[in-house]
Amino acid sequence: MADEKKSKQRHRVMVLESMYPVVALMLILVACVELCDAATVVDVYRLIQYDISGVPFGSRFSSLNHHAASLSFQRGADLSRSVLILPLRELDIGFVQDYISQKQSLGGLLILLPQTFRPGNVGGGSQSSENDGFRNLLAQLEKLLVHGNIPFPVYFAFENEDTDAMLADVKKNDALGQQATATTGGYKLVISVSEPRKIASPTITNIQGWLPGSRADGDSNQLPTIAVVASYDTFGAAPALSVGSDSNGSGVVSLLEVARLFSILYSNPKTRGRYNLLFALTSGGPYNYEGTQKWLKSLDQRMRESIDYAICLNSIGSWDNELLIHVSKPPDNAYIKQIFEGFSNVAEDLGFQVALKHKKINISNSRVAWEHEQFSRLRVTAATLSELSTPPELLENTGSLSDTRQLVNEDAIIKGVKLVAESLAKHIYGHQGKDIKIFADDSSLAVNPFYVRSWLDLLSQTPRVAPFLSKNDPLIMALKKELEDYTAEVSVQHESLDGSFTFYDSTKASLNIYQVASVTFDLLLLLVLGSYLIVLFSFLVITTRGLDDLISLFRRPPSRKVKMA
Amino acid sequence: MTLFHFFNCAILTFGPHAVYYSATPLSEYDTLGTSVKAAVVYLATALVKLVCLATFLQVSESEVFDPYQEALKAMIGFIDVAGLYYALAQLTHRNISQNHKFQAVGLGWAFADSVLHRLAPLWVGARGLEFTWDYVLQGLEANANLVFTISLAALGSLMWLRKNKPKSLIPIIYTCAVIIATMPSITSYLKRVMGWHFPKIVGFELVTSLVMAFISCQLFILCQRPSL
Repeated sequence: MADEKKSKQRHRVMVLESMYPVVALMLILVACVELCDAATVVDVYRLIQYDISGVPFGSRFSSLNHHAASLSFQRGADLSRSVLILPLRELDIGFVQDYISQKQSLGGLLILLPQTFRPGNVGGGSQSSENDGFRNLLAQLEKLLVHGNIPFPVYFAFENEDTDAMLADVKKNDALGQQATATTGGYKLVISVSEPRKIASPTITNIQGWLPGSRADGDSNQLPTIAVVASYDTFGAAPALSVGSDSNGSGVVSLLEVARLFSILYSNPKTRGRYNLLFALTSGGPYNYEGTQKWLKSLDQRMRESIDYAICLNSIGSWDNELLIHVSKPPDNAYIKQIFEGFSNVAEDLGFQVALKHKKINISNSRVAWEHEQFSRLRVTAATLSELSTPPELLENTGSLSDTRQLVNEDAIIKGVKLVAESLAKHIYGHQGKDIKIFADDSSLAVNPFYVRSWLDLLSQTPRVAPFLSKNDPLIMALKKELEDYTAEVSVQHESLDGSFTFYDSTKASLNIYQVASVTFDLLLLLVLGSYLIVLFSFLVITTRGLDDLISLFRRPPSRKVKMA
Repeated sequence: MTLFHFFNCAILTFGPHAVYYSATPLSEYDTLGTSVKAAVVYLATALVKLVCLATFLQVSESEVFDPYQEALKAMIGFIDVAGLYYALAQLTHRNISQNHKFQAVGLGWAFADSVLHRLAPLWVGARGLEFTWDYVLQGLEANANLVFTISLAALGSLMWLRKNKPKSLIPIIYTCAVIIATMPSITSYLKRVMGWHFPKIVGFELVTSLVMAFISCQLFILCQRPSL
């Protein structure tokens, strides 16, 4: 008997073991649930995630798999397994602030932006007051999100018909009190991306172009240099949407146009000035102008000492009547006076004003508010030309979501270019005080508005957050090629963004919106189908075999043991 | 979760076939072999139809109802009827009464049709997260199709296997058979020209199938009586 049992057990074990691969195969087949057949797919852009000296900021998560909820939910409802959909039009900053500061748990946040903020959208040039209101709201929201530590995924998306329809449905359901959960159906939002990883050693790339002046015969001294500098990278709440048209696309476009004009002048030896010109497109602007500092330190000391002065361009795209020159040396310094006089004379001719603003550098404070401060720390005279009157805070005015193409006025940029070009020319050719216009309209040296417009459009569609730009990014190659066309020598410098900033990837994703039925619905359907099949069975038995047969199915057959006994 | 929905739709699509087999005396007389043979004949018919359609039909991009194309499709549809004739009349079955023969053939035919046309979309589509009514409607259509096929098989057996039929009923038999055989053309006409949506078409099919089943049942009973 024991042997029989053992063999039976062995047999059973063998059968079970042979079943394992079959079971595994079945499980694999079952697990292949298709998640890519959603009715709606929307492009979404993630909030930035970064650390400053190890302190975490931004949204710390990226994947999402929850039901949708809207603002009309019942107070006190649990939203920790829901994604809150907030259209910008109905945003209440206080509500978001409460949610973040009180650290209430939320499955995710999806912010819907109006189509006017989409980077490629050039239509609707006139700024309506509604758009201005949105811009202010957006700026406030961005400040809140960028400087907070948010433990749930935050995504930005643009409104379209599908999202509008879904939001209307969700609001209707929420108003009725049926919040979407696993048992009540509704919409499910799924973003399936891997967890965000640190970007190892992000690079910042500086591009410089050198236009040599003409040396007089017998003169062996080093020619003085004038530098024109602009930082081209941005930082914003959504790195994939940070196009920074005004900050600092306007600066980059102006630099390129000034380079183009002077390259025409310098191409003819008769009109070549006695100054070298150095054009630099620096990166790392939002991070205390780290790129500019590294670039300056990498310059040959002789070249650095030969710089007469440097003009930094920062946000000169949306001003009307007044530009500001920011300096760190005291205004009664002789050099500063000379520069300022030159600029204000030209500005007067062109019909607007420039004002001088002085801000002392605090050596102990590591915050660098303007680009010229990096020059001043290395004893080079410099000034920043900008429309901003107050120095921006850290990570402010560096290409936010509201900084789109529509914010920039081409005429303002053209006026700025004329100002810089004429002032430089007066200094180089010694025409101070004389009424000579070199870059007059309708001349061969006129500022080309089409050039300005095309570069501005390009920059307004290219997000330029430095850690996400590779060493050979197409934009960097394009800027390098452009400077190569206008200057004699171009060099590209790659540095790593060290210091306190750490960034995480995963900036763009696809949101799948599914309309799901609840578990109760499936159970109900099962019940209905079960009863249908039972009714069908009974009907067929009754019609083909008769009612007696149906009843006899339920009667137990007579026990065989009784018969055998 | 979504596997649940797949399971529901599967039992709606394939359940009635199993129920029909087990509820009627078919299971007692073990007519499974006949059903399997009918299913194989359906497979062969489907292949022949596919080749003919590919050869003769032009694929039009728009949803326009082209009478010539539809007539061609209906002609190719008659290959179905030929296949059914072959399954009913030519295949040698064991000695089962004519009554059960047409039921078994119809059942096997309808089951093969359901599996071929509806299993793949069901497996691929019903398991996703997104919920649509399509698969439930498809299941209902499968039910209607089962009734249609059995009615057609009944009429077919009347036409080809029974020799003594009352003269007056013959035209009715043939008309009903023609109507059932051209059901696909009728539904496509409704979908394209009249613009009916899927739920409406399925409802129409269910109603028509019940009507046809009733008519063919009556015809069958009438033909059972010895002719006068």
